[in-house]
Amino acid sequence: MLKLLRVALHEYKRHVFTKRFLMGVLSIPLIGLVGFALVFILVAMENDTTPVGYVDFSGLLINPLPGPAPEKPYKPVPFLPFETEADARAALEAGQIQGYYLIPADYPSTGALTVVYDDKISRPARQQFYDFLAVNLTRRLDPAIANRLLQGSEIIVLSPDGSRVASEQTIFNFILPMLLGIAFMIAMFTTGGYLMQAVTEEKENRTIEVILTSVSPGQFMAGKIIGDIAVGLTQILTWVLFGVLIVLLGRGSLAFLRNVQIAPQTIWLAVLIVLPSFVTLSALTAAIGASVTEAREGQQIISLVTLPVWIPYMLMFPLMTNPNSPLAVTLSLLPLTAPLAILIRDGMTLLPAWQIAASAAVQVAAAVGSLWLAGRVFRLGMLRYGKRLRLGEVFHRR
Amino acid sequence: MPVIEITHISKSFGAVKAVDDVSFSVEKGELFGLLGPNGAGKTTSIRCMLDIFKPDSGSVSILGGPMSEAKKDRIGYMPEERGLYQDISLERCLVYLGSLKGLSESEVKRRAATYLERFDLAAHRHKKVKELSKGMQQKAQVIATLLHQPELLIVDEPFAGLDPINTQMIKDLLREQRQAGVTIVLCSHQMHLVEELCDRIVLIDHGHVMLYGSLEEVRRQFAGNAVLVKGGDGLPALEGVERVEPVDGAVKLHLRPGVRPQEILRELVRRDVPVEHFEIALPTLDEIFIRVVQGA
Repeated sequence: MLKLLRVALHEYKRHVFTKRFLMGVLSIPLIGLVGFALVFILVAMENDTTPVGYVDFSGLLINPLPGPAPEKPYKPVPFLPFETEADARAALEAGQIQGYYLIPADYPSTGALTVVYDDKISRPARQQFYDFLAVNLTRRLDPAIANRLLQGSEIIVLSPDGSRVASEQTIFNFILPMLLGIAFMIAMFTTGGYLMQAVTEEKENRTIEVILTSVSPGQFMAGKIIGDIAVGLTQILTWVLFGVLIVLLGRGSLAFLRNVQIAPQTIWLAVLIVLPSFVTLSALTAAIGASVTEAREGQQIISLVTLPVWIPYMLMFPLMTNPNSPLAVTLSLLPLTAPLAILIRDGMTLLPAWQIAASAAVQVAAAVGSLWLAGRVFRLGMLRYGKRLRLGEVFHRR
Repeated sequence: MPVIEITHISKSFGAVKAVDDVSFSVEKGELFGLLGPNGAGKTTSIRCMLDIFKPDSGSVSILGGPMSEAKKDRIGYMPEERGLYQDISLERCLVYLGSLKGLSESEVKRRAATYLERFDLAAHRHKKVKELSKGMQQKAQVIATLLHQPELLIVDEPFAGLDPINTQMIKDLLREQRQAGVTIVLCSHQMHLVEELCDRIVLIDHGHVMLYGSLEEVRRQFAGNAVLVKGGDGLPALEGVERVEPVDGAVKLHLRPGVRPQEILRELVRRDVPVEHFEIALPTLDEIFIRVVQGA
């Protein structure tokens, strides 16, 4: 057991403490942070606090109530009343205001008004002016009704058992399991790549012969798989931490981030279905590495196991629109296709308990079978130089 | 009880029989030579010995029974094809390989420091293995084999690629290990080194044992009817000598069939020929190797 852990630790350190891994693992969150920063820069560029004028012929804005404070990072735009349109135009020409609104006498009944500007009125300024109008349009109503009107409409969808709630506010939570699934896929491929590379390298540089006189093939293979899965999980954990950081930093400014949360079921699915699949894929890539004569040959064969993993991604649209179809259920049960298929469906439907249990059982069985196969291929193929191991030999040789 | 006992093992790969009914044993504390031409079945025998391969038939007993995980920590193996991690530092590589033999990191570092100093590699401990010369890597492999102070050492071509100074260093090291009671199996093509170091040998060719026994026995077995004589100003013509061959300041007298060395010695004494050295001419291991392999 101690040797198994030492193999795992060596494998982990060998891949994680490299520039290549750090660059790879940090590149995606850095792209996210850059995107996040760009959003803030664009918002800041929109932030024009030059006042906006208005000429009120309707009497709506006599002693007006102030509009609601804008959400960060938007800054409040002052609204200047003018007695006549000529005054407002003079202020516009003098560059004192971005533009002005003409509110006609019949505005409360028609809702039509006129806006005058030279260049433009910024989007946040427009939104703030409409909010300002809305507050004053509803000022004479019951505060509860006024408040509800100002909040606007929201369609909330509840699952029959009440366990799931979906609304516009939580739209991001639909795609979160799918994003998690894609992150797992990327981590699985990274891990698989590392594992196959490590195994073929050990075979090519003959290290394996020394290693096998120190540890059993089973211990060695298990140690490598554990170490490399830990590499993949480190990658995912780093991304999740960056994601949490972005949510924490951005929830004050970006409304869609406020309701982001991962459902406990998604975490269970990751543990019960994605992790065993991770083991299956890693074991199969290690087996490929042990059976081929050089890394390049392995790269060609590895697509046989990576392709099924991507099938749910390619079928994402039918899975999302019809998450309970026979196709979706089948893909959720099969080894390799299950992780992404079930995480895509998790955001879109209520997964029946039997499907989760059956899929988990299939994934665990596939993981155990793959580990056995990998150990067998490893034992027979590791000292085979210059000749690929045939499938028949795996089941018949001593 | 022998440290290694190989009994009638056979191993095939497809249609090729790499090892066919091979038996030999290695006694505790001896330096045993495992010889044979390329492709003879030496490496397959070693891999069967170390449980890397399972023999198709026959049995292997090592350190008193079948191979176990615990026994692996008592064995040091240096394969012919060197195997070190190329992309990590020498010290990290040694720490990993040592830790797989059950040593703690601090203990490996302590032991490695002594060997690195002795092998003149201390200044290179932080370099990546791939940055070391072939000879340096060879020495590093020797260190990795010895770090855990094995009871049984199996070294395959340990002198390959070494200059005379490092060859001497490895020879001294092997002798030192034997004196410390370590059982050593030495696989080498350099027959003069095997002759110099080994107590007993087995020679395998085409998967079969061709020769097996103490070095002295084997050489006597192959001794022709010849004597090596070193005299004063040359030897007179002697009755019973078929051919005279000069050998390193002496002469090798090839005797006619039925003529015994004692008769030649008696004749030399009778004629009062000054004799500095007289011995039965034994073939070198090189000669035996060629005769056996070509004969086979």
